[in-house]
Amino acid sequence: MNGKHNRRTFLTATSAGLLTSIAGCTRGGTGSDDSANTDSKSDGGADIPLKKYQQADIDWKQFEDSKINIGAVQHPWVDAIKPAVPIFEKLTGIDVVWNILPENQFRTKRQTDASTGAGQFDVFFMDQVVNQYRHEGWLQPLDPYFDDSSLYDESWYHPGDMFDASKWQAHGGGYSDKWTGLPITVEVQTQFYRTDLYEKHGLTVAETLDQFRQNAKTIHEAESDIAGTVGRGQKGYGMNIYILNTFLREFGTSLWTDFPNNSGLDTDGTIDAAKWYVNLLKDYGPQDASTQTWSDVLTTMQEGRAGHIVADANLFWPDLTGSDSKVGDKIGIAKAPKPADGQFSPNAYNWQISTSKNAKNSKQGFLFMLWATSKPTNTWMHLNNDAAFSVRQSVWKNDEFRSRVGEDFAQITLDSLKAAKPDPFDRKYPQWGQQYSEELQRAIAGQKSAEAAMKKAATVAENIYSG
Amino acid sequence: MSTPTQTQSETRTKPEGKIARVRRLWNDHLPIWFIAPMATVMVLITFFPGAYDLYLSLIKEPTLNVFAADFVGLSNFSTAFSRGGALHSLIITITVVVSALILESVLGFVLAALVAGVGSGRVKSFYRVLFIIPMAVAPVSLATIGRIMLNSEVGIIPYVINSATPFTAPAFLSKMPLLTVILMDTWNWTPFMFIIFYAGLSSVPDTLVEASRVDGAPLWRRYVHVIIPYMKPVVFVATLIRMIDLFRTFGVVYGLTQGGPGTATQLVSINIYEQMFVNNQVTVAAAIAVVYLIMVVALCNIVIAKVGFDGVWD
Repeated sequence: MNGKHNRRTFLTATSAGLLTSIAGCTRGGTGSDDSANTDSKSDGGADIPLKKYQQADIDWKQFEDSKINIGAVQHPWVDAIKPAVPIFEKLTGIDVVWNILPENQFRTKRQTDASTGAGQFDVFFMDQVVNQYRHEGWLQPLDPYFDDSSLYDESWYHPGDMFDASKWQAHGGGYSDKWTGLPITVEVQTQFYRTDLYEKHGLTVAETLDQFRQNAKTIHEAESDIAGTVGRGQKGYGMNIYILNTFLREFGTSLWTDFPNNSGLDTDGTIDAAKWYVNLLKDYGPQDASTQTWSDVLTTMQEGRAGHIVADANLFWPDLTGSDSKVGDKIGIAKAPKPADGQFSPNAYNWQISTSKNAKNSKQGFLFMLWATSKPTNTWMHLNNDAAFSVRQSVWKNDEFRSRVGEDFAQITLDSLKAAKPDPFDRKYPQWGQQYSEELQRAIAGQKSAEAAMKKAATVAENIYSG
Repeated sequence: MSTPTQTQSETRTKPEGKIARVRRLWNDHLPIWFIAPMATVMVLITFFPGAYDLYLSLIKEPTLNVFAADFVGLSNFSTAFSRGGALHSLIITITVVVSALILESVLGFVLAALVAGVGSGRVKSFYRVLFIIPMAVAPVSLATIGRIMLNSEVGIIPYVINSATPFTAPAFLSKMPLLTVILMDTWNWTPFMFIIFYAGLSSVPDTLVEASRVDGAPLWRRYVHVIIPYMKPVVFVATLIRMIDLFRTFGVVYGLTQGGPGTATQLVSINIYEQMFVNNQVTVAAAIAVVYLIMVVALCNIVIAKVGFDGVWD
């Protein structure tokens, strides 16, 4: 053994040891928020017949008596799938160990795991940094596994059932022709409005941006203590720009009209979209619109302090219409508005699960990914475990699911997901996306004009690639 | 009388045993062995992180394999100041440190003087507990509570201002973010200054104060010429500790504003965090951290050298 190998082995082992010792580990099975970081063996809460999986031409038992580590954020998907995991363990003989952490901590741990080559996680949650990870060579494309007949059966898996937007984002959002992971959840932007206020002021639900603004104006001026609209103004790539990206596409432009030379952020369409969003919030939004996060806008709507909003359907609907909301029975849902001459293309966001180059049990991990996103598991999660983020069209069309979540919500979400255009996260998106969102926040706060903000954002984004 | 052979054998050095060798090593270098544990701890907790930070700031991409690292000179420092907002965040930090330090020191001293002047022991005790409460709130909790309380739609502070005064509540976090975070920090940490100043005031000998009173000095003169000079070491240590702590401020400000709107409240600590964990620019974050570390250490040493030893620690 040479010194280099010793050093590498030592570093890998040390990193893995540290990660293991720090991570909160759980095993497969039922879990609740309280028990998220405790060792609780499954109770086999799910009742999915094994034959639904055994019908597949897949050798489920080929890795019997092995174990996989899953790195995950504290997310409803984890809560929804954990009761079904004993089915997977029984089907495959693979033991599932969860490592569940708050989102920011998880991001740090994931980066350490991937960049040091520790390979502790066989499967992990993946988000906007997918192309950075792919570009750095930390991610493992799943295509070889799809080509392995002992691991994959297309006729059973039905990949065509997944939304195109979800599959597209799982292929690096157009930056890769290979599977970078499998999508597990999707959120799409829709419009929520106060039915009582709309009725009181004789408003019709907005289909266009002009109508949306007009409705906001009417409510803002007529109601002394209610803002016409509310929206994310806070910086961050899941915040203000996530909403604005819907509108800039509807204004006929997109991000990176010529990658990596032209960011598209200073095109007329982007500037017009930014002006529209900034003015909407400044004129008819809350006073502190520039600092509102998604949870702030949710609270404002729940408290009945705003007329309407564009936000993530699946994320907001249960909270807006549930018992925590003061206006639970007065919330309507509709498609996001678009310009009169624009194309409806709401933004959407997918979480996916991936495997790293250094994972020791990637094949086992792939079996888990396949099982977790398969029709039987996905349908069970959505019918029996309160999930409402399916990446499969069949779930949104399922009558039992539609009666559970509401016909309007299901149909509007389905239509929106079919038309959705998620953000394409290039490898340096975290860098320029953050500064793009800072510039937009400055405009919403009134520190500069929307046009100046977008031009600055364009310069920043292009400079990051040019040097 | 011994024979020459006998003399040689007696004077020849006997082979030294292992235990004897260890004992000699121990005795010969005794001071080093006593210092060694502390030196090791210092290297591990101070030198190593600093050296690793410096290493990260000089390479292109983070890697644990030092021999495979691509050293890029001062390029990351250049990026930190040209694109990374290092200078802007330094200015914001210094603004917050100076403003909050002045506010907290003055308020802390005034509160301490007021409580010290209260006659009843029970009332004194009540005020002491009351004023200490804000310091017990964790920064993240404070930020969360602050965000809700200051929210223009559902917050209690704008509600009270709007309903109980003729004024309209300002948008605290979007229109006056820097002032808001300074005031929030002042609320949170004035108790710290209060406690130390209160202890300092209690240590001023009654005879001194009494003598100045007998001499006819009014209250303000007693404070300016007797009490405050006596308390100089306490004031210095309290402000030094608080100054160092203010340079490290992160949680409250990040929780309240995330450094915004834009970068209006982007302290250096927030800038480093964002470069590191949001932008994934580890090397640029390290470069900013190196500059910041040098600046804060230098500043503290200057303060200690120029102010601390001038009649305080000498």
